[in-house]
Amino acid sequence: MNAFWIVRSSAANALADLKVVYTWRTWTFGLLVRMLAQVAFFSLIGVVVGADAEGMRFLVIGNAIMTCVIESMMVVASSSWERFAGTLPLLVAAPARLLWVFVGRSLQWPVSGSVTSLVSLLVIGPMLGAQLPWWRVPLLAVLVVLTAFSVYCVGVALGAVVLAASSLRNIVSNAAYLLMMAGCGVVVPTSFWPSWVGNVTSAIPLTHGLAAVRGLYEAQLSSAVLVNAGLAAATGALWLVAAHVLLRAFVRLGRSTGSVSFT
Amino acid sequence: MTVFLFQLKLALLTPRSVHVWVTAPLFGLVFLAVTEHAGRPDLAGHAVVAPTLIALWTLALQSAGEIITDERDNGTLEGLVAAPVPVVAVVFLRMLAATVCAVPAFAEVWLLSGVLFGRWVAVPHPALLAAALLVTAFTTATTAAVLSPLFVLLPSARIVQNTISYPFYLLGGVVVPVAVFPDWLEVISRITFLSWSSDLLRAALSPAPVTAGPLRLGVIALLGVLAAVLAAVLFGRVLDRVRSSGTLAHT
Repeated sequence: MNAFWIVRSSAANALADLKVVYTWRTWTFGLLVRMLAQVAFFSLIGVVVGADAEGMRFLVIGNAIMTCVIESMMVVASSSWERFAGTLPLLVAAPARLLWVFVGRSLQWPVSGSVTSLVSLLVIGPMLGAQLPWWRVPLLAVLVVLTAFSVYCVGVALGAVVLAASSLRNIVSNAAYLLMMAGCGVVVPTSFWPSWVGNVTSAIPLTHGLAAVRGLYEAQLSSAVLVNAGLAAATGALWLVAAHVLLRAFVRLGRSTGSVSFT
Repeated sequence: MTVFLFQLKLALLTPRSVHVWVTAPLFGLVFLAVTEHAGRPDLAGHAVVAPTLIALWTLALQSAGEIITDERDNGTLEGLVAAPVPVVAVVFLRMLAATVCAVPAFAEVWLLSGVLFGRWVAVPHPALLAAALLVTAFTTATTAAVLSPLFVLLPSARIVQNTISYPFYLLGGVVVPVAVFPDWLEVISRITFLSWSSDLLRAALSPAPVTAGPLRLGVIALLGVLAAVLAAVLFGRVLDRVRSSGTLAHT
C-alpha cells in the first residue's frame, strides 16, 4: 500500500472525527467565533501598550496565523485517541507505515485551521490595520495552508512522543503552541529574544511561514517570501522525518516491552 | 469539607491542574514579551494578572464539564444523585477545590516576571490582593457551575466549554481594561465578575490607593452568590427532568 492511499484512508477517519465533533453550525458559531475572539484578545494587547499602526498590524497578522497553529497542534491529542479507541496495537501490527497513518489521522485540524486563519486575516485583519489587496489573497491562502501543514508536521512528531504518555497530550499541545507564540515572531519579533532562542525557533516552520505571510503584506511576491515559504516547507519536512523516527522508536520500544496498549 | 479535600487531592494527582501550572507561566511569557518589547515595564502587573484569571477560568470550566462526565463514566452519577447530600452542594465544593488549584498560577507568573525579565512586580496592597484572588476563585467556580447542568443534559457540551473562553476574557477585560470599551459594551461587561476581578487585581498591584476596595470585593462575591443560586435552580430543574425521563445515565 503506498503512502498516498494510507494517508487517504486515514483521512477518512479524520473526516469522520470532524463530523462527530462539529456540525457546520457548531464549527461556525463555536470554533470560529472562539478563534476570532482569541485573535482579537491577543491583538488588543496592542491597545493597552499603546502600539502604533504598524505594531497593531504586527499583532493581528501574527495572532491570526496562530489560529491555524493552535488547530494543527490538536494532532498531538487526537493521535492519542487511537490508544483510547483500542486500535493502536492493531495499527502497530498492520503492515502500513505508522507515519502515514498518523499523518492522515488528524488532517481535519490543519484544514480547519487554515480556514480559521484566513477568515481571521480577512475579517479582523482590516479592522486592525492589516489590509491586503484582493489579488494577493490567493497567495495568502497558499502561505496559510503551507504554514498550517508544516506546523502540523511538528504536531505529528510531538504526537508520536505523547503516544507513550497519553495523559500529557493536552499539556504538551498547549505548551508547544504557547512557546511558538512567544518565540516564533507572533507577538514580538524573533530579534527580541537572545540569539540562541532565534536558533531554536528557526527550526520551527511557523517562524518562516509567518515571515512569508508578513512579507506578502509588506510587498508583492518577493524573493524573501519565496525563501521563507521554502524554509517553512523544508523545516516541516524535517519534522516529518523526526516523526517517522519517533514512531519507529515507539513501536520498537512498545513491542520489546509489551507496552503498546499500556503506556 | 470531605468533598472539598477529596477533590483537592484528586486535582493534585491529575494532569488537569498541572495543566494550568504549565500554561499560566507560558501565557505570562507571551504577555510580558509584549509589554517589554513595547517598552512598558509599568504594565508587568497586567501581564501577571491576565494569566492568573485565564488559569482560574480554564480550570473552573474544565471542572464544570469533567466532574459530571467523570461521575457518569465511573457509573457513580446515579449514586451521587440518590445520596442524601444535595448534588449541587457536592458539585460546588468540588469545583471550588478544583478552581483553588489555579491560584498558585499568580505566584508562578510573578516569579517568571522577576526571574526572566527582572520585573519584580510590587504588591502594595497584599491583603486586598489575597482577598481578591480568593473571592475571584469562589466566583469563578460558582459561575462555571452554572454550566454544569448543561453537561448533565448534553455530554457534547464540551464545544460550549471551548467556545466561551476567549469571548469571556475579552468581555471581562482580562487584558484590555473595560474602561476603554464603548459605553454600551462596558455596561454589559460590568455584569461579568471577571471585569470587576481584573480591575481589582490590577489595582491591588498598583501603587495608587485603591478606591472602594471592600465594596468591589463585595460586588465580586455577590455576583458569585447570584451565580450559585442560578446554578442550584438550573441543577434542580435538570435533575427533575432526567429523573422523570429516566435518562440520567444515558444523556
